[in-house]
Amino acid sequence: MEKKQKLLLGLTSTPMILIYVMAVFCLIAALRQPAFLSPATLINLCRAGIFTMCFAICEMVVIISGGIDVSFPAIGCVAMYVPMWLYNHDMGVDSVFFFFGVAMLIGLVFGILNGVLVSFLKLPPLIATLATSSVASGGLIMLLGTREYTSLPPSLDALYSVNLITFTDPATGFKYPLTILILVPVFLCIIVALIMKYTMLGRGLYAIGGDKNAARVAGFNVIVLQFIAYIFCSVMASATAMIYTTLMHSSTTTALMGEEMIIIAACVVGGCRLTGGHGSVGGTILGVLLITLVRNNLNMLGIPTSWQTFAVGLVLLLGAVLSSIQARRIEKMGKI
Amino acid sequence: MNNQKAGTARRLPDTHILTIIGLMALVLIMMLFLQPGNYFSLKNARSMIYQFPEYGILAFGMMVCMIAGGIDLSLVGIMNFTGVIAALIVKHMVPAEGGPMTAAAIILAVAAAIVIGCACGAFNGFIIGYFHIPAMLVTLCGLQLYTGLAYGITGGPAINGMCDAFKAISNGSIAGIPYVLFIFIAVFLLVTFVMKSTVFGHEIYFLGSNARASRYSGINTLKVTIMTHAFSGILGGISGILITSHLNSAKSSNGSTYTLLTLLIVVLGGVHPDGGKGKVLGVTLSTILLQLIANAFGLLHMDDNAKTFVNGCMLVAALLLDVYLDKRAAKRN
Repeated sequence: MEKKQKLLLGLTSTPMILIYVMAVFCLIAALRQPAFLSPATLINLCRAGIFTMCFAICEMVVIISGGIDVSFPAIGCVAMYVPMWLYNHDMGVDSVFFFFGVAMLIGLVFGILNGVLVSFLKLPPLIATLATSSVASGGLIMLLGTREYTSLPPSLDALYSVNLITFTDPATGFKYPLTILILVPVFLCIIVALIMKYTMLGRGLYAIGGDKNAARVAGFNVIVLQFIAYIFCSVMASATAMIYTTLMHSSTTTALMGEEMIIIAACVVGGCRLTGGHGSVGGTILGVLLITLVRNNLNMLGIPTSWQTFAVGLVLLLGAVLSSIQARRIEKMGKI
Repeated sequence: MNNQKAGTARRLPDTHILTIIGLMALVLIMMLFLQPGNYFSLKNARSMIYQFPEYGILAFGMMVCMIAGGIDLSLVGIMNFTGVIAALIVKHMVPAEGGPMTAAAIILAVAAAIVIGCACGAFNGFIIGYFHIPAMLVTLCGLQLYTGLAYGITGGPAINGMCDAFKAISNGSIAGIPYVLFIFIAVFLLVTFVMKSTVFGHEIYFLGSNARASRYSGINTLKVTIMTHAFSGILGGISGILITSHLNSAKSSNGSTYTLLTLLIVVLGGVHPDGGKGKVLGVTLSTILLQLIANAFGLLHMDDNAKTFVNGCMLVAALLLDVYLDKRAAKRN
């Protein structure tokens, strides 16, 4: 009996439902467009998912710790714009380490700012990071102006042209290269998953997300843990923004703005709860896959692009409702 | 003890209002030195009055939700969605030659905007109250949904070219006083009445101070949550009419900076981010303060992004003021 119940619970858990939804989506897309079923789609999906994946892991850590960070797109924009600005004003060396170093340093500064506002001053995370966001984005444009840098420095260009594998479509002869930078989200996921699961740091993040007071009484340093979550988020988001510049050949002051919605959506759909303490890397990966799939292939289902915002909102809302229902169901089962 | 508590509760918002009035005086004195001729003219005062009602009314919506312990990030989405609907009605129903049909179509557009705003808000409130999902997440979804609806209906480009009578709502004036000022005052009185003199208003304050206690004391929290968000949605609808009429255009991305702006107004106006506390007067005054600042920026030819920067800094400062006042109140008790 118990075994049966466990199986049922496993089959109707959030990750499984996500997999069903994705399977149905792919099936319909494949039926409508047989071209969907080619390695090219997979490679495009991977390319499109690189940033979403990295950002989602950053956001996930903050959400698990019981906070939320809506400032990372603005911080990312600062981090991708300033190094290029420095380089184009002859104030930087042409080296991958310089670009990523400056970007991560900027992330660190804003991460510390977020950390101070949220953990020391105990401001509500949403409002505090919204303020950081407008300070970062307003300050950047005010001081450095709006330009678009579309030519990469040679070192980043060299990084861009390193490919892991290249798939050539036999029918059309188009080449679909898979960049080496896909390894960044892969390693990030593995490292964060290990840290969240097997170290005191990771367990502490779950603990403060579940109940701050209980975690404090149990001996966790709540302020330091929150600080680490926000700094990690900003620093990694900045590095991701630099990857964005490398892959997209573009660096503007507003390129990532508005991205926070999609990222939070991916986390929530993947089973993170905004109240904190719940969520996993595996779930987040599934959430990112679903969102990327929906975002990039909606036209395959015959939905015009102008309805995409609405469709993503709908997916997000259903994800939120689903995770709430699941949470209630698990609570009820515990009582039996 | 009880008396003392009531005393501090009454004194706290007053500190906020005093701060706002102090800041207003500061801005006015600064402008007296920098740009006395342009700033203190009737023309400038009128141009300010034309601008602030649209986001002032949005700020009231944000205030109501925040006092109830939630937040409404979907207001800008509701504003644009209702604006698009109203623009479509005006565009398709108003006959070219004018006549009585014009008034009927405009009334229909206004009514549709308010009803749709109410429905959007009620939908938010239902999801929040029934599924117990944080208001922040639901309204963030709502923002995406309503913006998406507006974007899907318009297909991207803005709807332009409304009839003159509709444009007059936000751009016309009577005896030199813009209509929008009357609309703003009417909304101000309505919100004050609801928050101060109705059972519903008091239930909102109760819900914000302690949701669980208010449920045990017999308040139907689901109903109050739905009504709160519906009320906020109605205000979003009114604001949608004003902005569409003011800009003579409706699209999904109008006023995207208003979310931050309304949050700033509300927090600066003394509404506590955790709910339960806040005064309509404080929010009104902080709306006017921000308009004074925005106008000063405009006259000094400062960059628009400088405004965003300063607004962000002020938001942090306002929150810090809150923390400081909380600490002082806790010490006193």
